[in-house]
Amino acid sequence: MQKPTSPSSGSVASPRLVDVVKGLAHAADSGHFDELHGKCVATNAAASKATVQAAQAQALSAPWRTFFDQLGTTGLDDLDRRTQTLARQVRDNGITYNVYASQGGPQRPWALDLFPLILTPESWQQIEVGVKQRARLLERVMADVYGPQQLIREAMIPPALVQGQPGYLRAMHGVTPVGGTHLHIAAFDLARSPDGQWAVVSQRTQAPSGLGYLLENRLLISRQFPQAFEAMRIQRLAATYRVWVESLKAHSTEGPNAHVALLTPGPYNETYFEHAYLARYLGLTLVEGHDLTVRDERVYLRTLRGLEPVHVLLKRLDDEFLDPLELRSDSTLGIPGLLQAVRAGHVVVANAPGSAFLESPALLGFLPGLSEKLLGEELRLPALDTWWCGERAALASVLPQLEHMAIKPTYPGSLTHGTFEATLGRTLSQAQRDEWVGRITRQPDRHTLQAYTPLSQMPTWKNASEGIVQRSVMLRVFALRNGAGDGADAWRVLPGGLARIAAPDAQIASMQRGGSSADVWVQTTDDVDRSSLLTKYNASTGFKHRERMVTSRAAENLYWLGRYTERSENMVRLVHLCIEALNGEDPASRSLWAWLQLLTQRQGLVPAGVPSAHATGDDKSTSTPSMGVRRRVFERTLIACLDQDDHTTSVGYNLRALHQAASSLRERLSPEHWNAIVHCVDQFSADCALSGSQREFTALQALQALDGASSALAAITGAQTDRMTRDDGWQLLSIGRHVERLGFLSSALDLAVEVGAFESLADDAHSADENSSHFAALLSLFDSTITFQAQYQQSRELAPLIELLVLDNDNPRSLAWVARTLRGRLSKLADTPMGEPDALARLVPDLKHTDLAQLCTPNEVGHHLQLRACLTQCTQAAWQVSDAITAHYFSHTDHADSVGA
Amino acid sequence: MLLSITHTTTYHYVPQVNTAQHMAHLLPRSDAAQTVQHAELSITPTPAATSTHVDVFGNNRTFLSLPVAHDTLSITAKSTVETHFMPYPPEEAMNTPAWENVREHFVYHSGAAWDAATEYVFASPYVQPHPDFADYARASFIPARPVLVAACDLMARIHQEFTYETASTDINTPALEALKNRKGVCQDFAHILIGCLRTQGLAARYVSGYLVTEVPEGQTRLIGSDASHAWVSVYVPDALDDAAETAKTGALATHGQWFDLDPTNNRWGLSSPGIDYVTLAIGRDYADVSPVRGVIHGGASHTLEVGVTVQPVSELTAAS
Repeated sequence: MQKPTSPSSGSVASPRLVDVVKGLAHAADSGHFDELHGKCVATNAAASKATVQAAQAQALSAPWRTFFDQLGTTGLDDLDRRTQTLARQVRDNGITYNVYASQGGPQRPWALDLFPLILTPESWQQIEVGVKQRARLLERVMADVYGPQQLIREAMIPPALVQGQPGYLRAMHGVTPVGGTHLHIAAFDLARSPDGQWAVVSQRTQAPSGLGYLLENRLLISRQFPQAFEAMRIQRLAATYRVWVESLKAHSTEGPNAHVALLTPGPYNETYFEHAYLARYLGLTLVEGHDLTVRDERVYLRTLRGLEPVHVLLKRLDDEFLDPLELRSDSTLGIPGLLQAVRAGHVVVANAPGSAFLESPALLGFLPGLSEKLLGEELRLPALDTWWCGERAALASVLPQLEHMAIKPTYPGSLTHGTFEATLGRTLSQAQRDEWVGRITRQPDRHTLQAYTPLSQMPTWKNASEGIVQRSVMLRVFALRNGAGDGADAWRVLPGGLARIAAPDAQIASMQRGGSSADVWVQTTDDVDRSSLLTKYNASTGFKHRERMVTSRAAENLYWLGRYTERSENMVRLVHLCIEALNGEDPASRSLWAWLQLLTQRQGLVPAGVPSAHATGDDKSTSTPSMGVRRRVFERTLIACLDQDDHTTSVGYNLRALHQAASSLRERLSPEHWNAIVHCVDQFSADCALSGSQREFTALQALQALDGASSALAAITGAQTDRMTRDDGWQLLSIGRHVERLGFLSSALDLAVEVGAFESLADDAHSADENSSHFAALLSLFDSTITFQAQYQQSRELAPLIELLVLDNDNPRSLAWVARTLRGRLSKLADTPMGEPDALARLVPDLKHTDLAQLCTPNEVGHHLQLRACLTQCTQAAWQVSDAITAHYFSHTDHADSVGA
Repeated sequence: MLLSITHTTTYHYVPQVNTAQHMAHLLPRSDAAQTVQHAELSITPTPAATSTHVDVFGNNRTFLSLPVAHDTLSITAKSTVETHFMPYPPEEAMNTPAWENVREHFVYHSGAAWDAATEYVFASPYVQPHPDFADYARASFIPARPVLVAACDLMARIHQEFTYETASTDINTPALEALKNRKGVCQDFAHILIGCLRTQGLAARYVSGYLVTEVPEGQTRLIGSDASHAWVSVYVPDALDDAAETAKTGALATHGQWFDLDPTNNRWGLSSPGIDYVTLAIGRDYADVSPVRGVIHGGASHTLEVGVTVQPVSELTAAS
């Protein structure tokens, strides 16, 4: 059917290569269009083997011939390696799809196939023209339904598909959105029939997904096949995105200076990855509902610097969750008052709330008539034949043909309106079909029947032993608005898309059901538009300013990211220290034991009530276990709790908390940073699980797990220090780190004083070895061993120790240094509380003028009261700063409740 | 009858609420059966902004935002409404179209004439179709019965067979449960009646409003002791030919009238059950007309007091 007019037709693959490909390829299933060979194999069920083989012997379709020609035989041999590279890149880029949209649900790596779906210029032209027309039509339908409702009055649309639709929002009735258009994006799922003709299966307007994933797909796949990509004249995507964002802005009252935010349901949404990705790619602020507030019918973003107006919301939230004041009152994802702002024309919401009714498959059957009525045109791109069962004539004619139909809910996704899983009539037994007939007859309105068509099949590659396997594919394409108006140029179709490949045994292509995706290559006969997204942006001040905007939520997460990173490092070091001390050659002093035990308990690394590893002074009864036994119990408990969440705030717990904070910050973290975090959490957990499965988790294995975590944390710290913009958000991350460090180190040191570590240091009667062990432990916990040795060699004096750990101005682990850095960060923070520029900074003590001699001098009974006062002051300052920051910067995000009378 | 209405809604919050936004349906609307002479809201604390618009159902809907901390919110709606006597001889009900024809009237087919009342045939948030509604309705909907006669019979049965029991249900109790238990409050009875009518393919809507209570001889009216009330409107198109005939000619009525049926008190009438009724708001069910709903930040727990006083102005002037 395809005339070889595509630019690729000139090249002819070497005969040998074609043979190789043929040898590798299975033909598509009979009755499906075969993308590889560009034709459909006989639909006859009794298609003989000979027919299939004959089909296989057919020439490859022109684009695939070019593709493999560009690949060459060496490339063909290389496909397994490329598949592995691809999988690694998906992992490295952290591309995920949350299978279950819930906290703690598994994140699955994004499934992407190696081969692209290739569309010839002829095929694409038909799709493009048809999709543009349909987008125009949908806009007209929506404008009528929320306006004069002429179409309902004239019975062009059944009222059941508008007013009977839960997705029809009465709150939007009579509202013309600012800029005059309801729709800015529409996604169409297309299937290619056996005759090679593309047809619409369904359409999405509320919050269609895919725009981010398809970009990642493009990035990864074009890199795998750079020559073919270049030679085949594949259309680029960036220009269409750019025009779209400009169009969104143009619709708002602010024009090009409009602030555009992407509204996400949050990290538990199954497609959160692409929300973050898209926000970053398009330069939009990624926001959740509680980041926004409505004042005087205007939408504002809560940022560290106060409220910033938002003019455009690109939403990835279903309509019913948008505004708990007027829509679903139990929604915690929306913004109370948003619909008032929409009605007042102060914010562009893309798409305007209320488009869900357009997503009903039942509407498809009415669109041809609506097109003639509203546009005076015939639809250029057909849809699969679809019948709404609420229309009696339709019901009577299609019910007997249930076997050849897909049964779909008229009101998809609505629990109250009888949603159900779409079902194929051909997969049902006669008895099951009879049941469906009964169900449909009882509630015809709720059912829509769509003619079943076998999906076209495209080549996929898993490995050389399976060869080229053909899988069913659905194509999602996107119409994106290109400025205002209703003309033929009002829309652009993104020249690409998201191909969804069905799992081997599945009849329906679905990412939720274990399917995969593929890049979509659209060939052109024209020049390829190579402009990038960024060329248009100049250094306008408004743009720069917004890039640095930090939402209160991001600030809070950054702060906790900092604190948990630091805390994880400290906990890893502390446990390491304990295990080494338990297994070391040097005898540990009594004070060191007391210190380590109390410290691990206070930090929640072991549950309260674990017997101490060292007999206390007044515990000398013969019934108590020997010291060796006690130590083993303590060690085992410490190790067993490494990755526990029950009753402990273990190392694993802290790492997961770190991960949690980071997962809400995906758009701000470099992929390396995010990967280091994911890797660290997974690896540590795996190490602990592996060891836990063995009879005994040895100290050595525990140390290895801790060493692994320690290296990974160093990488995370590196990313935080070197790879992040020094904006307000980074200041908070750094503040979080230093608050945690100041609080932990000062309290740990204070505890050492409390248990008498320094008394023994000062006491010559104690053995030098015991002194030495506690001394070394302190240095190690402060990560200052090397510095100390360099400066003071083998000294075991108190004064040099205090100087280095408390007063040193150059040691990044000394309290004075931490306090000074913290003060510096706090004074840089915008909009400090209490109206004084340095109010927060002044909470932190300045240790510059503290006298070393005084700190080191014990009182008459040998207590270091001065030192302890200084340390307590540091600890308290850390928690005061934390409280003040939380109260001032984060408290906006308090919980909202709905009430009714 | 000239009626004076005071409707006070008070929330007490613990701890205090930091910010709040509310939406209220508390200002009555004028229609054939009533003229609103005066209506106003007074709110404490004073909102930063209020705005009142007419919503898609023709109700007055008020938004208020309170960006200030408060532990009490009090909304008082005061209105004066003149209710009109709507003459409709009860025996006329016998002349309304057979209920099957009315059902047929709402069935969509290509090119059918449109009737705005169709909107009220469909499921709504609080009233989802269920076979139990159909089962209960069946006894009243005997073949060819005039639609209004059947609807009134259904209303009378609910009045007779159900127990009015305060606090037996709350707003989260589904109408189905009240149907099963045969008890509830006016709101449940209204939802049940709507559910039954809609399963028969008829258009029914929810009316919130007030009813003047009778004061026993020799006693004085207790201020605030009344409650807001709820009942149902059912749509009766103008006379229809039989279904087969109308399908052929396509000459369907697009006009009709709403009759108000109060299952709690077994009263009904054209546009209103009587001159002692005041309509506040109309919708598909309670969700469209809830007197006050809002979103609060802070305020972990709250208590709610509602006080309603409806009295004839003549009584007021007599007292002063």
